[in-house]
Order: sequence, then C-alpha cells, then structure tokens
Amino acid sequence: MSFFVDENTRLIVQGITGREGSFHAEQMLEYKTNVVAGVTPGKGGTTVLGLPVYNTVREAKEKHDANASVLFVPPRFLYDAAYEAIMTGISLVVTIAEHTPVHDMLKLHHLAKDKGVQLIGPNSFGVISPGKAKAGFMAHRIFAQGNVGIMSRSATNCYETAFLMMKESIGQSTVVGVGGDMIPGSTFVDVLPHFEADPQTKVIVMIGEIGGSEEELAAAYIKDHVTKPVIALIAGTNAPKDVSMGHAGAIVSPDGEGSAEKKMEQLLAAGALIAESTEDIVRILKTLV
Amino acid sequence: MKLLEYQAHAVFHEYGLPSINGFTATTVDELKEIDGKLPYPVVIKAQVQTGGRGKAGGIQFAENREELLKKGEQVLTMSIKDLPVDKVFVTPKVSVKKEMYLSFTMDRRAKLGILIFSPEGGMEINEIAEATPEKVAKVLLPAGDKLDDFIVQYAADTTGLDPELVPEFKNFCRTLHTVFLQHDCLLAEINPLVLTEDGRLMALDGKVDIDDNALEKHPEIRTMQDEMTENKLVLEARGFDFLYIPIKDSGEIAIVSNGSGMIMSSIDLIAKAGMDCTCALDLGGGATADRIQEALRIVASNPKAQTIFINIFGGITRCDEIARGIQGSLSFIKDKRMVVRLEGTNKEQGLEIIRGLGSGMELVDGLYEGVDALAKGKKL
Repeated sequence: MSFFVDENTRLIVQGITGREGSFHAEQMLEYKTNVVAGVTPGKGGTTVLGLPVYNTVREAKEKHDANASVLFVPPRFLYDAAYEAIMTGISLVVTIAEHTPVHDMLKLHHLAKDKGVQLIGPNSFGVISPGKAKAGFMAHRIFAQGNVGIMSRSATNCYETAFLMMKESIGQSTVVGVGGDMIPGSTFVDVLPHFEADPQTKVIVMIGEIGGSEEELAAAYIKDHVTKPVIALIAGTNAPKDVSMGHAGAIVSPDGEGSAEKKMEQLLAAGALIAESTEDIVRILKTLV
Repeated sequence: MKLLEYQAHAVFHEYGLPSINGFTATTVDELKEIDGKLPYPVVIKAQVQTGGRGKAGGIQFAENREELLKKGEQVLTMSIKDLPVDKVFVTPKVSVKKEMYLSFTMDRRAKLGILIFSPEGGMEINEIAEATPEKVAKVLLPAGDKLDDFIVQYAADTTGLDPELVPEFKNFCRTLHTVFLQHDCLLAEINPLVLTEDGRLMALDGKVDIDDNALEKHPEIRTMQDEMTENKLVLEARGFDFLYIPIKDSGEIAIVSNGSGMIMSSIDLIAKAGMDCTCALDLGGGATADRIQEALRIVASNPKAQTIFINIFGGITRCDEIARGIQGSLSFIKDKRMVVRLEGTNKEQGLEIIRGLGSGMELVDGLYEGVDALAKGKKL
C-alpha cells in the first residue's frame, strides 16, 4: 500500500521555474509521479515541462485537485511558500531546503499540526514510495519496491542503506526523509503510526543521529504502539561534542544531551534492534525479511 | 553561533535592554585608553567562548589605573580551558542587591520557545535547579510572536519574585523576548540578572547563541563570526560554502564527503576500527571539479592529515566531477595517502579517471572496504 505518496498523488512543484525545481520536476515525472502543476509567484500563465504554472498554490489546487506539494524554494522564501501551502490545506507538504531558520520552522511545525497537514522536512531529500511516486530529489535508482519502511534524518546514510539493500534484493514500502534540522515538520513519532498501519511495511528502519530528543521520543512510542520490528541506527557516536556536524540538528550539548549512547539505550529498552552501521542494518534486515 | 559577552551586551543595548556598559581591550595600550572613561572600581572580564571564567581567574577587579593595567595584562595573557584570551571587557563594578537568572531558549522536545527564570542567579542554571528546584520556573511559550503577560506573571509568582519587581520584570522579559525572536536566537540568557542597590534590573552578563541558519538575515553577526573563527581552515572552507569540522588533534585521517550523515558514519566506523580522524570536510551537494580542488587543497594544508579518505555517495554530486577535482589536486596531495570511494552518478567515468592517475590512489568499493583499507595501511 505505502503512504504519503503513491499512484493517487497529484503533486504541485513550488519553485518549478527555478533550476533545481525544473530539474527535479523532470526527474519526478520520469519516475511516473503524477506532477500536475507548478507554482511560482509572478510566473503564472507560463508552462514548464508542459505543466501549467500558477501564481498561487490555491489556484493550482483548485484547478488540478492537487493533494501534495513539494517545495524547491531557497531557504529565505521557505517560510512564505510553506505557509501558503499549509493554509491552502494541501494534505502533504514536502520541504527540501537546507538552512531554514529555526524560529520559522517552529511556527510552521505547529501550524501544520493545527491544520492537519503532514509537513515533511526541511533539510530533507523528500518522500518516495518506490515504483509509485516520489516528492523530492533522492536518486530514485537506488530504491526498489519492497516491504521495508525507512525514515531518516540523513540523506546520505539513507542512500547508503538503500544501496546496500538493493544488492541484497530488499526493497522499500515508503522512505521518508524527516530531515536534518533542529525542528522537523514531522518527527519520527509522527511517521511511525503510518508505518505501523501500512500493510506493505513489514519492518521499520529508523536512521537517527546525535542531537535532540526525537529518537528518545520514538523509543517511548515504539514501546507502547509499534508491533513491527524496528531497526535503529544512531550516527555520530564518535562525533566531537558541542560541534554541529553539518546538519543543524546534529549537535550534542556539552552536558551530553542528545548523545548517541542515551538514544541507543532507550531504543534498546523499547525493543528496537540496534544497528551499528548501515551495513549492519542490512545484515539484520536479512534475518527478518 | 555563540556571541562573546561584550557582543551580547551590544545586542542587548540595540534593543534598549538595561545592560552593563563597558569597553573592550586587546592590548595594554588599549587598557590605558579605558582608564578615565569608567569610574573605579572596575571589573575586567576575559572574553572567551567558555564558561567557568571566574574560577579560572578570568574575572578581576581593579581599584585604580595601576591595577587595571596590571590585572588586565594578566588576563590578556592567560588561557582558559585551552582558549587564549585575546580580549577583555572592562565594566564599572555594580553594587548588587540580588542576583537572578533569566533566559529564553528552544525546547527541542516540545518544539517551542521556553522561558526559564530563577530569582536565585549567579550559578549555572542546572546547578540552581539542583540546589533549589522550587526556585526555577520553566514555562513553554505558545507558538507565535507575542510573549503573553500571564507567562511572565506565572514565572514570577511560582518562584516567589518580590511582587514590587514584577512590573519592571515584565518589561525586561518582553524586551529580551524581542531579542530572542528578532535576532533568531537559540539562546538569549542573562546570568546574572541583577537588582542593583538603587533598585533597577540590569543584565550583568549575557549569553547569546544565534541560529546559524538565520545568519543570512544578520550580516553584521556573520562578520563577527568570521572574525572570531580561530581555526583558519574552518574560515577558509566557509568561504567556499564547505563545512570544515576539526575532530581530534591526535587523528591522522581527513574525511572528505558529500553529506553530514555520511561524515558521521565514516567517523564512527573509523573510530570503531581503532583509528582517529583529524578533520572532516563536507562538500554539500553538487560540487564541481574546481570546488573539489579547493576542498582538497584546504584539507591537505592540515599537516596532521596524513591520509585523505574521499567518501562520495553521489546523487546530485557526480563521481566524474569528483575524479576530475582529484586529478587537478595532485600537487597538493602528493605527500598524502589517498583512499578513494566513489559511488552513484557517473561512477564508472569517475573510476576510470582515478585509475589513470596511477598507483598513488587506493580505490575502494564501498564505505566498509574503505575503512578496512585505512586500517590495513595503519598496520604497515
């Protein structure tokens, strides 16, 4: 079945007239994603890749009954673009850009929750349901349809895992990039119920990293609500303290908050299987699927 | 980005927050210029990015010019937790009736701002919370731009703040909250927030940490960041939009990769195999050959980096671009051991170029083979 994006997705690309937007719109079309329109303020009435471009998300949604939007807009425009998409009531909003101010994300996180909108990202590769559709910039050739759900803060660790899975002929149901920022639109806890409910998903892979408390919150949720096996990797065990490792969210406080040890301990206590590396994820997967 | 104390005070002044005035000095000559501008006694405070300055002797009092120069020079020549003191901040000594604590910060768990207040200040907040938990209020702020009056009232009442101080305290909180929002702070902390002998509230020391993602909105802070960056390679890398991360002084391996997650995984696997990294450089996505050259030049100029491990999983990043970048960098890396892993877009074209560079390049297939190769090389 998979979720978030599939055959029924009718996707808008915000920022479609930009270099990244048009390139990845083409990639998404190539993957047979049903991209229905683009939105760029001031470029309404033009076409890109044969798709109509509108000034507002609202018009695009009304004319094409769109149910998802992916944002290829620079960080300084992200707040306005995501705000517009959320307020229009598009049910899935995927944000890609890195370097979105934390205070902006804080507001968007709560606004999306209040409006019942699934906001994914920022600093994310997007969402893909292999063989069905994708909303994002991930290199789709390394993903294949299957029974493993993946959610990841890191793009590269997720790619590495998918690539190693492909070598073992193990595929994915849905893959979600929750993103590397301090405040994600959707957290691991927000995505877990979807994996739990999705009949196609048999095993859940969670690729976390140092910083924040999302893995600890996921551990508490897994303990009480998740019946499917969960494999968890926490990257950054050996990263220096109090230094941001590139992802804005990947930082361990001087007092040790956000450390890999604490996260692994709580996940283990919640019944998750702890993988020590991306290779280890696939080794454990082979015993389960 | 964490501001130094005097920079935090400058931000506070910008918003009209009552905050201590003072002058900075980096040399004895500059200390001489301060003499006469402030009434004695004065306080000399080391400006370094670490806590525990007082205990380390980085805060001194001076009763006159002679003491200012002598003690000022002492502080300017000391190091605190390995950080050399380049600058002191000299302020008047304020008569203090009471020390308190106030901050606005991010609660990552709740994804909300949070106000933390204690009428007992002067120590680190976790020490206060441990000693007198009933005297610490932590109040989450609803998402939005307004600081509600009841939030501050609640913080004051539940910690037993003198009701006479509450009106001024509310003003103070509103202003600091404006700093927190307008300056995109992850932390805006005042410790101690003091009640002076003449009954005013004033920020005696401040910590401000500004969201790196928002620096584009605050060009003046970005300039400060560059000025304060001690590591030249970090600064140089930033100029090319690369992130250079110093890791361990004892390490000998430098990692060059195209993503934060991949860098963390590489560091973890290398550490697990009993080796240490000296630094890592994140290229970000889509780097071109000439940018790769710059990245390799920067990493190779770290004399501790004896081995460079290039670990690329290219989606947007193309392996042939990486390979051409390596090809163009041979003069920088001729003394280095090179272990190269290329995966993803245009992998074969990339590998062909690397093979053409001869035996100096150790090509590995996969991250794990790469780490194995690093470990084997170490044993030789």
